[in-house]
Amino acid sequence: MVKTAEVVIIGGGISGCAIAYNLAKKGVKDVVVIEKGYLASGATGSCGAGIRQQWGTEMNCKIAKMSCEFFETANEELQYDGDIEFKQGGYLLLASTDKEHEQFKKNVELQNSLGIHSRMLNLDEAKKIVPHLNTEGLVSTAFYEKDGHLNPFHATEAYGKAAERLGAKIYKYTEVTGIEVENGRVKKVKTDKGDIETKVVVNAAGGHSQVIAEMAGVDIPVYSERHQILVTEPLEPLLEPMLMSFSLNIYCQQVPHGGFIMGRGDDTEPRDLRVTSSWQFLDEMIKTATRVLPPLKKARLLRQWAGLYNMTPDRQPIYGKVDEVEGFYLAVGFSGHGFMFGPATGLLMAEYILGEEPTINIDMLGLKRFESGDLILEPSVV
Amino acid sequence: MLEKTGVPTKEQIDSAFPSEERMKKGPFVVVECFQKIPCNPCFTACNRDGIKAFEDINDLPDVDHDNCNGCTLCVSKCPGLAIFVVDMTYSEDKALLKIPYEFLPLPQEGDRVMGLSHGGEEVEKVEVIKVQNPKGFDKTPVISLAVSKDKVKVIRSIKVPKERDRSEDEIVCRCSDVTLEEVRELIRTGHTTFDEIKKISRIGMGPCQGRTCSQLVIREIASITGQDPSSLLPGTYRQIVKSLEMGKVIEALEKEEQENK
Ligand SMILES: Cc1cc2nc3c(=O)[nH]c(=O)nc-3n(C[C@H](O)[C@H](O)[C@H](O)COP(=O)(O)OP(=O)(O)OC[C@H]3O[C@@H](n4cnc5c(N)ncnc54)[C@H](O)[C@@H]3O)c2cc1C
Ligand code: SF4
Ligand code: SF4
Repeated sequence: MVKTAEVVIIGGGISGCAIAYNLAKKGVKDVVVIEKGYLASGATGSCGAGIRQQWGTEMNCKIAKMSCEFFETANEELQYDGDIEFKQGGYLLLASTDKEHEQFKKNVELQNSLGIHSRMLNLDEAKKIVPHLNTEGLVSTAFYEKDGHLNPFHATEAYGKAAERLGAKIYKYTEVTGIEVENGRVKKVKTDKGDIETKVVVNAAGGHSQVIAEMAGVDIPVYSERHQILVTEPLEPLLEPMLMSFSLNIYCQQVPHGGFIMGRGDDTEPRDLRVTSSWQFLDEMIKTATRVLPPLKKARLLRQWAGLYNMTPDRQPIYGKVDEVEGFYLAVGFSGHGFMFGPATGLLMAEYILGEEPTINIDMLGLKRFESGDLILEPSVV
Repeated sequence: MLEKTGVPTKEQIDSAFPSEERMKKGPFVVVECFQKIPCNPCFTACNRDGIKAFEDINDLPDVDHDNCNGCTLCVSKCPGLAIFVVDMTYSEDKALLKIPYEFLPLPQEGDRVMGLSHGGEEVEKVEVIKVQNPKGFDKTPVISLAVSKDKVKVIRSIKVPKERDRSEDEIVCRCSDVTLEEVRELIRTGHTTFDEIKKISRIGMGPCQGRTCSQLVIREIASITGQDPSSLLPGTYRQIVKSLEMGKVIEALEKEEQENK
C-alpha cells in the first residue's frame, strides 16, 4: 500500500469511484480509494439503480439530468468493456390523490423549463404504456421516457476501472480505522493495512459516513435507515418503465434480464446500520405490488436484501468542505437517491476540491445549510 | 462446516453408507445430501423405491438400500452432484465408484487420473473404467472409476490433466449461463470473492441461489490466487430459500386475516 497520496477517498461505491475518476481525469496524480469490502458492496450494490429526472426542485432536476446524460454514453466515455445495462424505459409516476396530482403538474412545469420533457398522462394514456396497470384509485400519472435504470455493479466497476487506468489506486478489503487531524488539518488516514499521509480526505462512505466523520471529530446531521428490496425470477417482458408512487409507497421495475426489482420505504425500519431482511417487508411489498400490477401474483419471489439510506434532515445530499477540519470533504447523505446522482457527484466534487469553476454551483448543498436553516424541500422522494 | 467449506463431516458421510452386509451384496447408492433444500429429482429418477417419496419437498432424501440396486439412474439427475454409486464387489482390491462429472475435457476410458477428495485434495491415482454421457444425462456425464476399497468414502472427483483443458466454454452457472472462462477472467482481473463474482456476473443469482456453482467458483479462486479454499469466504445466503409465488403470500395473508376476525 502507498504511504502518501494527494487525495484519499473513503468508500468504493458509485460516489467514491466517480470522484476518483474525475480527479484522475483532471490530472490529480495520487488518488487513492479505500473500500472495506469490494466495489459497490454498500448501498450502491443494494440499490434499485433507478435514474429519474422528474424531481420537484431545480437543483435536483439539474443534477439528475446531468447524471442521466452521462449514463447515456458512459460505456464509451469510461471505455468499459462490459455494459452498464442502462435501460431508458421511462419513469411512470402514479398520483393517487388530488394533492399529488397538483404537485406533479407543478413539477412537470419546472422540469420542462429545465429541458426535461416530462408530461402528465391521464390513466388511459398510462395504460398504453403499462397495459397491466391497475388504475383503480389513481388520479393521473407523470411520465418521462428518458428516465430509466441500470446495473449498479457494472456502473461502479466501469468508473473504478477507468479511474485505475488513469492512475488512481483502489484498495479493496481495506478498512479505514481512523483519521488523524493536526492543527485543524487532515494529516493521515489510518487503515487496517497501513497508514496513508494526505492533505485531502473525501468521505464517501455512504451509510457509514457519520462513523467516518466522527473519526475526524466532526458531527454531521445524518443517520442511516435500512431499506429493503426484492427480486423475482425472470418473467416475460411485462413492464417497460419504472413504476413509482410516493403515496402508495412503491417503486418497481423489470430489469433487462427479466426479473422484477421492487422496494418501499418505512420509517420504522432500524437505524443501527443493520442490513438484515424482514418478513414484514415482504408482506407489505407484495400487497402493494400485486395491487398496482396484478399479473405479479404469478411472479415467483427469488431473493430479498437490504441496504442503507444515509438520511439528512432535508433528504438532500451534503456536498463540500467541513469548516472545522481543513482538507476534509463530504459527499454523503444521499437519502436514497445517490446512485442516480453519481456522475454529478463525481464531477462536481472534483471541481469543488480543485477549486475550479463549477458546472453546477453546489454551495447550497453544503453542511452550513443546517445551521442557517436554508433547507431544500424536495416534495418527490420515497 | 458444510456451509462454510462444502465438505461434509465424517459422520455425515458414514450415514450415507449402508450396512456391511448390504455392501457385500453389490452396487448401492450413496446420497450425500445434507442440506434441506426444495429439491427432489433423485426421488423422481428412481423407479425402484430406492429413494422414498418426499413428504415435504424440503426433506432430505430417505434412501432404502434394500430396494436400490445401484442402477445409477439418479446420479446425473441430482443438480447438487450429491449422488454416487459404489460397488465393493468390483474386484479383489478395488471398488467401482461412479461419480457425476461436469467439467471439460472429459477423461477417456483407460486414463489414469488423480482422484480428489470432497475438499479437492489429491488422494490417489485412479483408473477411468467408463465414461457415460448419453443425451438423457443432460450434460452430466457419469464416470466410473476403479479406486482402492478404503478410499470409497474419500474420493469424490477427479483431476483431468491440464493439456486436455481446451474447452473453457463449460457452463459453471446454469441459471445465468456463466462459463468457466468468464469466471477465470473475472478472478484474473481482481474479483477474488464469491460475492464479487456473483454481483458482476449474476452467477448464483438464479433459482439455485448458488448451491451448484459456489463451490466451483471458490475452487477456481483458490487455484488461481493460490489460497486455501477453506480460508475463502462463502457467498452471502439470502432468503427466500425456496422461490414462492407472490399470489400465494397474498392468499396466506388473507387467510390469516380471516382467522383473526
Ligand atoms: C434498497 C435501496 C434502493 C435504492 N434505490 C435507489 C435508486 O433507485 N436510485 C438511486 O439513485 N439511489 C437509490 N438508492 C440510494 C443509493 O443506493 C445510494 O444513495 C448510493 O448508492 C450511495 O452511494 P455511495 O457511493 O455514496 O455510498 P455506498 O455505495 O454505500 O458506498 C460507501 C462505501 O464505503 C465503504 N465504507 C464504509 N465504511 C468504511 C470504512 N471504515 N473503510 C472503508 N470503506 C468503508 C462501504 O463498504 C461502501 O462500499 C437506494 C438505496 C437502497 C438501500
Ligand atoms: S441407483 Fe438406481 S435404484 Fe439406487 S437409488 Fe439411484 S435410481 Fe434408485
Ligand atoms: S440435491 Fe440431489 S440428493 Fe438432494 S434432494 Fe436434490 S436430487 Fe436428491
